Amino acid sequence: MNIIIVGSGKVGYTLAEQLVRESHDITVVDVREDSLHRAADNLDVMGVRGNGVSSEVLQEAGAKSADLLVAATNMDEVNMVCCLIAKNLGTKYAIARIRNPEYTSSLAELRRNLKIDMVINPESATALEISRLLRFPAAANIETFCRGRVELMGFVLQANDFLVGSPLYSLSKDVKRLSLLFCAVERGDEVIIPNGSFVPQAEDKLYVMGQPDSLDQFFRLLGRYVSRIRRVLLVGGGKISSYLIPMLQKRNIRLKILDQNEETCRELSERFPKATVICGDGTDQEILEAEDLLSTDAFVALTDQDEENLIMCLYARQQQIPKVIAKCSRENYAGIARTIGLDSVISPKFLTASYILRLARGMQNSQGSVMNSLHRIAGGAAEAMEFTVSENTRNLGIPLKNLKLKPGILLAVIVRGTEIIIPEGNSFLKAKDDIIIVSRGSGIRDLNDIYREDGTGGAA
Amino acid sequence: MNIKLVLKVLGRVLQIEACTLAVPAIVALCYRESLAPFLLSAIIIGAVGTLLTLLPSERRFYIREGFAAVGLIWLTMCLMGALPFWFSGEFPSYVDCFFECASGFTTTGSTILTDIESMSRGILFWRSFTHWLGGMGVLVLATAVLPSMGVRSQYLTQAESPGPVFSKLVPKQSQTSKILYGIYFFLTATETVLLKLAGMPLYDAFIHAFSSAGTGGFSNRNASVGAYGSPVIDVIITIFILMFSVNFAVYFLLLTKKFRDVLASDELRFFLVVVVVSTVVITFNILPIYGTIPQALRYAAFQVASIISTTGFGTADYALWPQVSQVILILIMFCGACAGSTGGGMKCSRVLVLLRTIRREIHRILHPRSVEVVTLDGKLVDPATVHSILTFVGCYLLLVLGGTLVVSLDGESFAVSFSAALTCMSNVGPGLEKIGPAGNFAAFSAFPKAVLSVLMITGRLEIFPVLILFSRSTWQKG
Repeated sequence: MNIIIVGSGKVGYTLAEQLVRESHDITVVDVREDSLHRAADNLDVMGVRGNGVSSEVLQEAGAKSADLLVAATNMDEVNMVCCLIAKNLGTKYAIARIRNPEYTSSLAELRRNLKIDMVINPESATALEISRLLRFPAAANIETFCRGRVELMGFVLQANDFLVGSPLYSLSKDVKRLSLLFCAVERGDEVIIPNGSFVPQAEDKLYVMGQPDSLDQFFRLLGRYVSRIRRVLLVGGGKISSYLIPMLQKRNIRLKILDQNEETCRELSERFPKATVICGDGTDQEILEAEDLLSTDAFVALTDQDEENLIMCLYARQQQIPKVIAKCSRENYAGIARTIGLDSVISPKFLTASYILRLARGMQNSQGSVMNSLHRIAGGAAEAMEFTVSENTRNLGIPLKNLKLKPGILLAVIVRGTEIIIPEGNSFLKAKDDIIIVSRGSGIRDLNDIYREDGTGGAA
Repeated sequence: MNIKLVLKVLGRVLQIEACTLAVPAIVALCYRESLAPFLLSAIIIGAVGTLLTLLPSERRFYIREGFAAVGLIWLTMCLMGALPFWFSGEFPSYVDCFFECASGFTTTGSTILTDIESMSRGILFWRSFTHWLGGMGVLVLATAVLPSMGVRSQYLTQAESPGPVFSKLVPKQSQTSKILYGIYFFLTATETVLLKLAGMPLYDAFIHAFSSAGTGGFSNRNASVGAYGSPVIDVIITIFILMFSVNFAVYFLLLTKKFRDVLASDELRFFLVVVVVSTVVITFNILPIYGTIPQALRYAAFQVASIISTTGFGTADYALWPQVSQVILILIMFCGACAGSTGGGMKCSRVLVLLRTIRREIHRILHPRSVEVVTLDGKLVDPATVHSILTFVGCYLLLVLGGTLVVSLDGESFAVSFSAALTCMSNVGPGLEKIGPAGNFAAFSAFPKAVLSVLMITGRLEIFPVLILFSRSTWQKG
């Protein structure tokens, strides 16, 4: 596909990197020579220098025949106008990054009048993700599928867990009854798709999939069940916080918010009178202790400084706070953070890029089955995808044991009507099933891509 | 530096080079000549290439690996490409073979052969075919046929493509390479057909089409294009070598019907102005020799096109022309063709930026507080780019002077030494006096020949990919 990315900042660059890997034709537009150079030198993309609101520049970038335009400059207004002009020039689909909370109420109107097909808001997406994590504190991260009927959770094994040291097929009946599936394991830098003889080790990050109830019971069995979170401490009163606070307050969670800037504190206190707003430095341990901020169920660090967030979270972890979440924009930090025991690390640009990637894959999917959602797990090394099986899908009705799937691909769950099936050898696919696939690496765009080329072919 | 991966890429390119030897081998087969030089070379080059590709390596590949790879690839390719010449036994020494092959791949067209017509046809075909391969670039070809060489291919083509800034036509490098080669192939084929129609034998038509496509200058006749004595052939070649010395992006713009953008190019206008002005001046300067204006114009236009495009074909011996004409030809040797073409030299866009920088400097002296930026095509030229262009021009001149010094070891006159270094650096071909269109480089001793060969590669790759091979930090670990 021909894709134009306007703005080569954090999100734009990450997005270009991901899309190039999927062999799309990418043109990057930016006003700043240096960031444009960085993109054009490191990635196989074409750079066009200029402002994305100029129709001349957009034409040069090929907006007439572009399939997708993503406006991700740091100015909401530029992004909006950029989409409008590109759509008028002939671009098929336009996505604008709009992050100012003030626009939230008028989004529908803006989208209609400015011909923006989709609005992405990294901050609000991040807030949503955090609120999801706080709902289920035992997991390091959660992805939901099939409108919440199936969930995928990642958690890190500890040395004394009963899973450690014995192969998966020898698990006790109590666990097997729950019909869960271990669909991916992150061990060091490696991602493994486990089979029955896989032996989990301490420090492995396991991704387990199943119905929310079953997962709930599984974590109880594991002794990890944390009672519902009632008190949360937020450090940093930025945009993410302003999206997150109302979400949490709706769930009757008591909030304490810490920010350095007095102005910000005053604004927050005016908008959210129920929350306790404290002005101070989150890295100052005395303030945290003096205000008794550490007797909380969850600690969320959302300042602009990745380093501060990580340090604060380490401290919080040391103080035995049950759930700790850090925002971290730089991907290379996220890897380091995981090794020092912070498992819930959230990167807004990564979330945004995944979101758009999912859309690009869906658009490319001209025939066959529709991808409903794409979740990238294990730091992008594996993907979990939800498809709806259509009449065009190959090998319908053939038992799975007779099919050859590509290596590193796992058919995790089949949702047929109200039934949720963890597939075995005798299971088969039927049209209109919703299925979830976990794959190592990326590149699955169509359901038919999962079969090995030399496998039992023949369209059904 | 990730030397293993660099060698691996080199291996891939050598494999491609071995494959391209099939073309002259087929020609040799047609003329019932010995296949041995080509088969033997193809086996050796292919085997070395395959061994190198088997090297285990990490995937770290950055700009410096790109530059070093390009420098190393071109040096090795020229050393290896000389094998068929050596095996044919028609060349006196390996240095001569290397000189001839470097002159071929870099599209210079200088030769050490005294009697070209006595050579076997397969060898002469390979000689011109190296022009065609080297003109658009071997790595551009590699990225077109092998889209995933396991490395970030844009680094390679960036280092190989001529011009101060490298710009893609379409977002994907492999696609850009395919388009470039498509245009290149089409224009070459057209020229071959036209030359055949104008009365050249088919074999000669191929040779001259390859040589003009790569703006090289190898001919299979001792008297070069002059041997045919046909005004039609002169005109066809004049037009085509000018077409090949224009930025290929122009043809892409024409194909995509963006006619207005074509005319907006400062570089193209500058190039045409230089061509027209030089032709007019030389026409009047040589009028007494040729008598009539059409006749003088024919020779002047051909020679100007031949030199500015850095081809180096000859229809007349300009060494016998008045000094003014000769100096003009030397000056346009410096200037060279447009960026993004197959031609050599410093490139018109660099000369243009240089002139504009000089103008700005004068303004700055007259109005110390004035603020003025250098622009090209109405767009701001990044100060870093201006800086690298100035450095490039400085390096270019120093290398030419250094080359002059080396050639003078043979006791040649200043005109010969200087023009030899310049013609090799700019990838033109002929120089002045005894190395003029009627002469050749055979009389030089081995050391100047080797240095001139490296100078040709340096000029073709625009200096830095070769220079960094001589920098110690390139080879240090970490």
